[in-house]
Amino acid sequence: MSRWATIQQGFLATLVVWPGVAPFGMVYAVSALSAGLSFWETLGMSLIVFAGASQFTAVGMFGSGAHPFSIIATTAIINARHLLLAASTASYIRKSPTWLRALVAFQLTDETYAVGVQRFTQHGGDAWFQLGSNLSLYFVWATSTIIGSLLGALIPNPAALGLDLIFPLTFIAFTVPMLRDRVNLVVAILAAVISVATALVLPGSWYVLTAGILASAVGAWLARRQQLAQMEPINENS
Amino acid sequence: MSIWLTYAGMAAVTYAARAIPLLLLRNDPPAWLALWLKYVPPAVFTALIVPAVVTQMGDYGRVLQLGPAVGAAVVGALVAWRTENAIVTVGLGMVAFWLIRLVVG
Repeated sequence: MSRWATIQQGFLATLVVWPGVAPFGMVYAVSALSAGLSFWETLGMSLIVFAGASQFTAVGMFGSGAHPFSIIATTAIINARHLLLAASTASYIRKSPTWLRALVAFQLTDETYAVGVQRFTQHGGDAWFQLGSNLSLYFVWATSTIIGSLLGALIPNPAALGLDLIFPLTFIAFTVPMLRDRVNLVVAILAAVISVATALVLPGSWYVLTAGILASAVGAWLARRQQLAQMEPINENS
Repeated sequence: MSIWLTYAGMAAVTYAARAIPLLLLRNDPPAWLALWLKYVPPAVFTALIVPAVVTQMGDYGRVLQLGPAVGAAVVGALVAWRTENAIVTVGLGMVAFWLIRLVVG
């Protein structure tokens, strides 16, 4: 398949996460404007930083006059989870040229990571597909930031409507079919416990890192034991 | 001008987190690492779901909150198991959320 067709595929496969993202792009814009940012500053952050949760946090900190260094440090803490998402994505697309991986890195998010991994586990890795997915989310984030700036206070609070549930529901749709695999199921149960326990104790998104690293390590250990058990059935029977 | 410098710093730390693993992991990883990374997606996906459903931001960090979102997530999980369709899952999950909230109040 041509590169262009693959980019398009990635772009279209990401439409499914748009409903969960667009309302919050709009709300981000409204809260940024009301915190005193100009239209261009509001849009600029979406285009340059492109990381939803940290943009919301930064807006709050701009509003309360926080020091730039503490805003940057907070951003680093919130986005540290991307280390793990990027490592996971890298395992699928590491054969691609360096410049392409550097480009993919610019827009890798929770949502596009999920769309990419879903595809790669079934059809093998493809950095062009990931790029298309990333561009799709970049497009909807920028567009919803602009729409939010224009509509302003006309926009209802999406959290009051429960629209913040669209994000976890979308991920449930991605995750549940994976759980037909026994090891994946154990990993998910562990990750649920670890992530909630961490979220109650540590700020930011450390809970993604702790659960992501520890639960997957246990999964690898279980899978390795299964492999060894299948390799040495003779010992068991003799 | 300073706000754009702040953006540059925010973008730099965010890009570093996204780019460092993508640029460093380029050779065949050792078997143990490959196996470990294989189980990162179910772990990360779950971590992005469960705290978002059962906790809420309070004044002093996150607190447990078992509300209508939990019922909606259970409905979503059952629908996802049966249909493997994201749009149906999100749609029925949201309907379940609104119904539960209507009943529980």
